[in-house]
Order: sequence, then structure tokens, then C-alpha cells
Amino acid sequence: MIEQSHQPENEELRIGVYICHCGSNIAGVIDPKEVVAFAEGLPDVVHATDTLYACADSGQRLIKEDIEKHKLNRIVVSACSVRMHEPTFRGAVAEAGLNPFLMEMANIREQCTWAHGHDREGALQKSMDLTAAAIAKTRFMTPLDMIDVPVTHKALVIGGGVAGISASLDLAEQGIETILVEKEPTIGGVMSQLNKTFPTMDCSI
Amino acid sequence: MVDAARQPRIDVRAFTEVEKVEGFVGNFKVTLREKAKHVLADRCNGCGDCAKVCPIEVPNHYELNLAPRKAAYVPMSQSVPLIYSIDLDACIHCYKCVEACGSLEAIDFSQEDKIVEEDIGAIVVATGFSHFDPSVMEEYGYGRFPNVITSMEMERLNNSAGPTMGNLIRPSDRRNPQRIAFINCVGSRDKRYIPSCSNFCCMYSIKNAVLLKQMNPSVDITIYYMDIRTPSKGYEEFYDRAREMGIHFIQGRPSLITEDEATHNLFVHSEDITLGRVIENEYDMVMLNQAAIPQPDQNHMSSVLNVAQSPGGWFMEYHPKLRPIDSPTDGIFFAGACQGPKDIPSSVAQGSAAASRASRILLSERWEIEPIVAVVWPERCTATTKGRACGLCVKACPYGAVVIEGDKAAEIITAKCHGCGGCVAECPEDAISQLHYTDAQLLSQIRALLADKPEEKILALRCHWCSYGGADLAGTSHFEYTANERGIKVMCSARMDSDFIYEAYRLGAGAVLFSGCHPQDCHYITGQIIGAKRAVRLKKIFERMEMTEGRFRVEWISAAEGDKYARVLNEMQDVLDKMSPEQLQEEIARLKPEMEKRLKRFPGVPGVPEAMLYSDNLVDAILKSKEIA
Repeated sequence: MIEQSHQPENEELRIGVYICHCGSNIAGVIDPKEVVAFAEGLPDVVHATDTLYACADSGQRLIKEDIEKHKLNRIVVSACSVRMHEPTFRGAVAEAGLNPFLMEMANIREQCTWAHGHDREGALQKSMDLTAAAIAKTRFMTPLDMIDVPVTHKALVIGGGVAGISASLDLAEQGIETILVEKEPTIGGVMSQLNKTFPTMDCSI
Repeated sequence: MVDAARQPRIDVRAFTEVEKVEGFVGNFKVTLREKAKHVLADRCNGCGDCAKVCPIEVPNHYELNLAPRKAAYVPMSQSVPLIYSIDLDACIHCYKCVEACGSLEAIDFSQEDKIVEEDIGAIVVATGFSHFDPSVMEEYGYGRFPNVITSMEMERLNNSAGPTMGNLIRPSDRRNPQRIAFINCVGSRDKRYIPSCSNFCCMYSIKNAVLLKQMNPSVDITIYYMDIRTPSKGYEEFYDRAREMGIHFIQGRPSLITEDEATHNLFVHSEDITLGRVIENEYDMVMLNQAAIPQPDQNHMSSVLNVAQSPGGWFMEYHPKLRPIDSPTDGIFFAGACQGPKDIPSSVAQGSAAASRASRILLSERWEIEPIVAVVWPERCTATTKGRACGLCVKACPYGAVVIEGDKAAEIITAKCHGCGGCVAECPEDAISQLHYTDAQLLSQIRALLADKPEEKILALRCHWCSYGGADLAGTSHFEYTANERGIKVMCSARMDSDFIYEAYRLGAGAVLFSGCHPQDCHYITGQIIGAKRAVRLKKIFERMEMTEGRFRVEWISAAEGDKYARVLNEMQDVLDKMSPEQLQEEIARLKPEMEKRLKRFPGVPGVPEAMLYSDNLVDAILKSKEIA
């Protein structure tokens, strides 16, 4: 679970920018150092650097140490998709005491170097613009608290075939009340219609 | 099966369907329809006396209609739960069953479907798969030739619990077949029907061949295959064993089956790739190994659960590698073949995995959700300024999370808000904002993206769940598209405010893409509909302005449509390439005052003036910094 912390209001902005190589996934198409040089010239950026793998332990440690060292209060990570590593970097900045919603990612891998592998100049320009846009967004970010909701301790499993039965048993054996819904008059699904199953040739029911 | 029935914490509700799923992680409200069995579950002891006296016989679909059942029935003798049903469509109301049931009084003809509501913390979807109907493939004669059967029919015919008690007979004359052909990939790996591989059929046909050979070693079995796929542990060894047992394997996809009308024997016409020639062999019986397809009600379930489908119709996971069990909706997980064809070991493993993912939530006292909700500036709401709230925000909300009480300003019930941002973009007074996706934030991003040579750029507005995922997939698949695309992400197309688009054109953007999910895939029930209405309105406005066709484009792109994302962007680039720079500049200049007119109210939005001021500096810095770098 993400730890919370708060930024003082009306603080001076101190943005840290990290340009990931992702091995050769990004650095094979563009030179991350050029994006670093570009980011250094943007307002409120007090620290910018490239990193071989931002998501690796060493990469995360670098960000956490820099938050302390350079008193950073906004973080921009230009790397992969938010669907890949947003939770990773939110977690990392939270561990360094920064609110996780003060971190923004720019997707310069899936939506840039991987999609424009044969247009190096185009990919470089796009990486710069996406990084600038992330920096711009952090300028207007505020610390946010996660919303805490209660949990009903009851599971619903839809479908009484082999997968549904397996899930229901595992849930119930952990002490969770489970409703197993099956639209046919019996559970068992396709599996119950089979004679013996591979590769062990044991009975299906 | 029996373990599930015996486990006290599992409440098995057979003959029950899910009608509606509302709420959110930890707090779902699920409506179930318990279909009437006309037998009282708490009284029926499963003795079967009702079925014995029932005079009506109808085909039993559990036995693939190869055997009959009564109107008072259980699908099979090992049914769980062992509770009989009365099939009223077949019943002639002779009431012999009532008599046979006697003092148990378990039969109740007045019973009706029961609607029940349940509070649920997490949901595992394990709705399975269905089978391709090979009768559409005329070349194989299924349905015309009695001795051409499907793999599921073969299962029942060689099963000791099946209609023939495991005595394999051929339908035309009930003789035991001696020469049997199995044909793999029937419907699957076939561009006419299902292009993908059904995963388990190779092993499945080898299993049936081994089984028949074990029961009767003199039977002659040939498997026609395209490729044999045995990727899991012990599978290749199983294939070796089948070959050692004398089962024949012919690489070639049969093109035609013909029948001898007198004997009902079958002739399989095929290529034998190993021999490099066309062959024709005679068999007593042919089994077609049918492709796995999504359930017939998969589209319906997809909209009940608000989960998207991959191409091919299977449910789509959040991420194929990192979160293969999770649906995009927090608290809903997939297990088994509903997510894609799977064999039994994988389905069991995925069932356990889904239970593990779900129990993270179910064993927690509380759960945290992202605070990207809507917030109201009450002083801007028409309730405050004009004495009456307009109510457009209430109409826009798919969750009933916006309420207006009396003459008070609109209020957001945070626990109900899912954060689509529809109310934010719909509010004519700009009285609502969305945390983490404020106008100031999005505006600054747009200005940064269009800082350098805006006329060459294509601003792409994408929703988090679908079109952003589609763009990711384009990259992952290395489908290349124009590097002039500049993407921005909001949670739902409902949040894509007209002002952002006017502002992009005011700044001189070459083109703008308005993209989101397909209507049935929307993560926010009807968010996409709100977005789509606005997009249509904008399209008309730009047409009236005589903007070049294609400079504003509206496309619905799922997270599985990477190829489409790349194609759309390249087509948009073509539109710009067809215009001369002067022509484009002239159009941008001509439309600028139109955009400014429409943006008159924009500087009044809280945060926007600051964002404008900041962006002016930022744009200068971007241009300067690019020169130096």
C-alpha cells in the first residue's frame, strides 16, 4: 500500500527528470543524453539525468537519493508505458517521502522509440516534447490521498467449470465466503463431459 | 466438483445467471437470476423417482443430443448439486412426478425465477468457452454424413458414463468402427473462420486416439494435422507414446470428405506433405476436432461486467504479461478459457491465480482506490450564480455520483465517482474539475506538445483504458507510424473537453485525433457515449468552418487494435502531406479567430490563466532548449 505524505503549499518547484535508456529499447533509437540536455533548460528543472534502467533497483535508488539530495518535489520519468511501471515509480517516490501523485511518466518507449524505430530524429523530437509535457503537468500537480474504501469479504465466481471450481476452492480454503454461480443445472463445465484427460489419463470428474 | 459442493464456504448456485454488476472494488452489488427448477432445492434428495415415472423424453444437450433425458431430469448422474429440474417446455403436466415424490413434496410447479442481490468484494470470471459448429464447413459433410462426428460427440461415445457406456459405435449402423480418422484444426487456424490456434486440440486428439487404442488395440487411427503442438511438460512424451502405439500421423489438411452411400464409409481427400502427393483413404468413421470459440453470450457478459474483448471475442486481460489474470476493472479477475483457449492444467492454475489475486482484496479490511475523482467549485455552479442548477453533470454521470439537492450546487459523492471526467467536460460553467486531470494540467501538456512547429503535429487525445493501450500495442508490435503524433492521456473520452481541441487548433495544430474505446468496451459504462456525442458535435462545427476533411478525426480504438492506431495516425499524416505548407498555414490563420471566439470563456476557468502564463514561458524555454541541445 502506498504511504502518504504531504507537500507544503506555495513551495518552490524542484523538478527531477530521469531519462531511461531501457537498455537499447530507448537508447538504441535516441540518445537519452540529448533529452537530458534539453530538459535541463526547462523551468523549475533542478536535476536531470539519464539512467540505464530506471525501473531496476539501482534506478529507483537513484531517484530516491536524488529526492533527498536535491530536495526534489516533483519527479518526471521518461521511460515506458504507465501501464507498465507507473506503480513502480509511484512506490519509489512514496518511499522517499514524496506524495506518489507528484510523479509523472512520459512514454518514450512503447509510444516513441518502438513506434518510430526508423525515424531517429522524429523520435528524438517526440521524446523531448513528451518529456516537456510531463514536466508541464507536474507544475500543476497537487498531493493527493488515496481513497480508502471498506471491503465486503465475499467472493463471486461466475462459471462452474474447472477454472471456476479451482478458484472457488482456493478462495474458500482461505476462509472467504464464495458464491459459485453456474448457468447450467450442474457445475463441471466442459471438463465433466470429457473421458480421461491428458497427459496423465486420469478421470476428469 | 464434489469438493466444491462439500466445502462449507462455497455456496453453489447452479442454474443461475448474473444479470447486473454495479459498484466498484470491494463493494460490488450483483444481481443474480436463480432460474426456476420447479423443484425445491432444500427438499429434493436426488433420488430420481420423478425421472423414472416421467413419460416424456427429449434430447439431452449434455450428451450432445446423442441420448434422451426426461422432462424431470438432471443432466448427468454425477450432477452437482444433485437436484432435479422439471423442464416445463417439455412437460405435459401429467403430475406423475408429484405422485412419485410423495411425502417429500419437493416439486413445485408454481416456482418462478428468483432475483437476488448480493454484496460482493471481488469477482472471478470463469465463463469458459464454446465449440465451433463444423456444419458450416460443407467440405466435411458434418450433419449430412452420419459417421462424421465432432470431438465432443466422440467424448460422450467413448465415455463409460456416456450414452453407449463407453462402447464406441458409429451412428449409421451401430457397428464398432475399425478405421477412424481424426481431423485437427477444424475451424481453427482457418482464415475463413477462426484464424487463431485453439491451444489444446493437438493434445486432445492424441488423447482420444490413445484412449481408443487402449480400449481396442486392433483399431486403426490416423490423425490429420497441420502441425503438432506439444509445448507443455510431458506433452511431447505423450505424443511419442501415441506414435509408439501405432497411431498414424499424416501432415495435411483434408480438403474434402465423401461418402459411400451404401456403406456410409467415408473417403478423406487430403495432401500428404511428407510424401508430397494427394491421397485418398477410406474410413469407417471421422472425428472433427472442433475449434474453441467464445461463449455465445460472451458479448452480453462483456457488457454486464464492463470488460473489453480481444479480437476473436475472448475477454481481455489488463496486460498480457504483467497482469494476465486481472481485468482492467479493479476487483474483477479472469480464470480459464474465457480469456483465451486453455487446457485443463492451465485453467486450474489460472483459477488458483485468480483466487490469489482476488484474496489480496478480500482478506483486506479496507482497499485503496485512486483519488482521480471529480470536485465541484460550488461558487461557479448555476445553482449559485443563477439560482438553479442546470443538471447536465447529473445527466453525464454513469454512476449517479453527482447529486443536486434543492437549490444547492451540484455535489460529488466521492465513493461513487469512478473518475471518467464526463461531468467536468459537460459542465457549461466550468464548475467541476477532476483531480490529476485538471484543465490547467491538460492545457499545459497540450501547449508543451505543440510548442515546436505545431502545424506539423497531430495531437492525439486517448483514453487510459483503450486507445492509450492501442498506442502501446502499436509500439510493442513495432507497427511504425508518424513520429509527428503527440499523445495526451485522459481517463475516458468523456473528459475530452471541446476547449482542449479549440485550443490545439488556435495554437496551430496540424491535426487532432479524438479517440477512445468502442462503445461496448467503455470502462465507465456510458462515458464513451458522452465523448462520442461531443466528438460528433465538434465534427459538425469544423465542417461548418470548412476545415480540411481529416484534420479532425474521431476513432474508437481498443487496447487490442495496435494496427488500427498506427494506420489511423499514418492516414492523418497523409492528409497533412497532401496540403501545401501555405495552404495549411492559410487555413490555420483563417480558423484562429473562430477558435478564439469559442475559447472566450476558457480564461475564466480556475487555474487556466496561471497555466497560460506558465506555458508561455515554457514554450519559449522549449524552443530555446531545443536549439542548444
